[in-house]
Amino acid sequence: MTRRPGAWQTLLWLGPSLILILGVVIYPVFALVRASWSRYSITGVYEGAVGLSNYVRLLQQDALPRVVVNTLVWVTMVVGVTIVISLAFAQLLDASFPGRRVVRWFVIVPWAASLIMTSKLFVWIYDYYFGILNHVLTTLHVIAEPVDWLGNDATVMGAMIAVGVFVSLPFTSYVFLAGLQAIPGDVYEAARIDGASAWRTYVAVTLPLLAPALVVATVLNLIYVFNSFPIVWTLNDRNPGFGHDTMITYMYKIAFKSALRDIGLAAALGVVNVALILVAVVGYLRTVRWREADA
Amino acid sequence: MRRHLTILGLLGAAVLVWAGCERSSAPKDTAGGGGSAVKSIKVVIADYSKDHTKPFWQALSDDYTKRTGVKVELQVVDWNSIDQQVTTMIQNNQPPDVLNLNSFSSYAKDGLLYAADEVLSAKTRDDFLPSFAQGGEFRGKQYGFPILASARAFFYNKTLFAKAGIAEPPRTWNDFVKTAQKIRALGGGTIGYALPLGPEEAQAEWEIWMWNNGGDWKSGEQWTINGDRNVQTLQFLADLANRHRVTQINPGKTNRTDGAFQLFKDGKVGMVIGFSPLAAQLDKEGTVEYGVTAMPTNIDAPVTLGVEDYLMAFKKTGNQGAVKQFLDLYYEPDNITRWITAEGFLPVTKSGVDRMSGNAKLRPYLDALPKARLAPTTDPVWDKVKLDVQQTIGLAVQPGGNPKRVLDDLQKRAEAAAAERR
Repeated sequence: MTRRPGAWQTLLWLGPSLILILGVVIYPVFALVRASWSRYSITGVYEGAVGLSNYVRLLQQDALPRVVVNTLVWVTMVVGVTIVISLAFAQLLDASFPGRRVVRWFVIVPWAASLIMTSKLFVWIYDYYFGILNHVLTTLHVIAEPVDWLGNDATVMGAMIAVGVFVSLPFTSYVFLAGLQAIPGDVYEAARIDGASAWRTYVAVTLPLLAPALVVATVLNLIYVFNSFPIVWTLNDRNPGFGHDTMITYMYKIAFKSALRDIGLAAALGVVNVALILVAVVGYLRTVRWREADA
Repeated sequence: MRRHLTILGLLGAAVLVWAGCERSSAPKDTAGGGGSAVKSIKVVIADYSKDHTKPFWQALSDDYTKRTGVKVELQVVDWNSIDQQVTTMIQNNQPPDVLNLNSFSSYAKDGLLYAADEVLSAKTRDDFLPSFAQGGEFRGKQYGFPILASARAFFYNKTLFAKAGIAEPPRTWNDFVKTAQKIRALGGGTIGYALPLGPEEAQAEWEIWMWNNGGDWKSGEQWTINGDRNVQTLQFLADLANRHRVTQINPGKTNRTDGAFQLFKDGKVGMVIGFSPLAAQLDKEGTVEYGVTAMPTNIDAPVTLGVEDYLMAFKKTGNQGAVKQFLDLYYEPDNITRWITAEGFLPVTKSGVDRMSGNAKLRPYLDALPKARLAPTTDPVWDKVKLDVQQTIGLAVQPGGNPKRVLDDLQKRAEAAAAERR
């Protein structure tokens, strides 16, 4: 008595999720693209279509090269450092020691806290006059004079990257921990019988078998970190101009916080951002040959 | 992999085609009073304080609904995001009926607003203090209705002044520099003057100093941002930071609320420009003994900044009567005075001045109010100049900054914006 469901029935079951996808994924993309070739007055009144001129004007912005470089540094540093530290972290969490459960819970905390709250907290940690970081570092004689971490052009980016890494660690560590636990014990046994050293075992056995987890962690972090707004916005809000902005905060400033006050131009940058992250992710998956890593 | 790419490409193409086919949004509604009366109005108010703003406007809305039967959709929005939210509302053709903001002229220029005589009774209009009524005019008609006002004043730390043996707050710029140096000489990280030229409120800090050196934003219809007096003023501020070293570190990268005010509240700072909400916080904490006085000036008489915030009414079909009733209710002397008093701001109506002049705490600000000057909010170009100043002027007082070049650039962009607007 089994029969294949008709098209209508299929649609009925799929309907709700299709509507959801249309509403929260497809429509915003469509609205963004449309806004990117429109002109709006400073108040938000639509003034007509202008074709690709917003894209041309975007390329003419003096601040753009600086912002692109900032974005590259921000994304590669945060993702790179996060992955290296998380690999070590996952190894630690995978080892059995008393209190492991408690430690595992604690690692989740930065992940559970809101990004704005964490960023505000770090603003005070970094503060020149009240911050605990300067207090600790001067007491330990690591630095002779306090440093204005968020006001000094040389240290702002580093300070933001540190926070970016801090909030990315929990997720990444857990992805690696899951990957480690999926590796069967007998391959380690084989390595031990062959007399491989601990380091050799790690490089030749653990890392290759962690490849799927590595790929997943890298791709998701690339997207999260590139799109991250609260950290850069909160830690950089005292600095005038666009010297430490990423493409995401720059987009917001173009729309609402700079003399440009231009939604169309910001939308054009929004489209570029989406395209860029798509290209980056697809490019990355190609180079690591996702299929084989998956197998 | 390849198949995924193909699907992605097709999806992208579909979105582009769809976007291209879509007709531009429906024509704007500019009919105004016509059509049947609305059943509800949307009121957007900026959040002045957690304790008073929402409770007052909620009560006013309830009262209004009881009287008229028209519902109120009240939104109290944080200052940091109000520009963004209002722009988004208008972009989506869902403007508020009544809006509270610190600017109005761009909205008037875009033809979105009712004029005062369309939505305010004669009694309400006649009660406005004339300078604030003028501060809401665009091309000779009033579109911005004063909701409240504030005035900046010069705050000094009495304890630090006594320690440094300073008897009187400084009256001239020369005295000011000497005073700041004496306070810095106390050592222990004391700061002579906290100068916030970071993006939050740089334009306010700047214009107070600018006016006290005889400079201005505009002369008639011409922008004069890079006038000689202004270059001199900005150089003076840069010297405070880099030559005399009497300011906090990186004044071009210090915001007002969590920077300059925080340092003053902590007792580290000799002098700062503040306003009545800062006084309220200081009184509440009770740790800093402070005095409030007029600005030190480089001209004959001290000038301070008055800030006028606005209410405005958006033209939408059938909302004129409802909006008028709402605004007239707010401007009833009991209502407006109750709120302005609670928030610690200054009156904008003649009846309000009569009722509040007995308040000793408001004395210094009320005294300053007649001589206070307003930012050029009646010019729509100001809405861009303000943001531009916020994002650039701090760079001029950083080590190696170039005040003249920063002001020249600001002037150039202001002129370009003015030309574009004609």
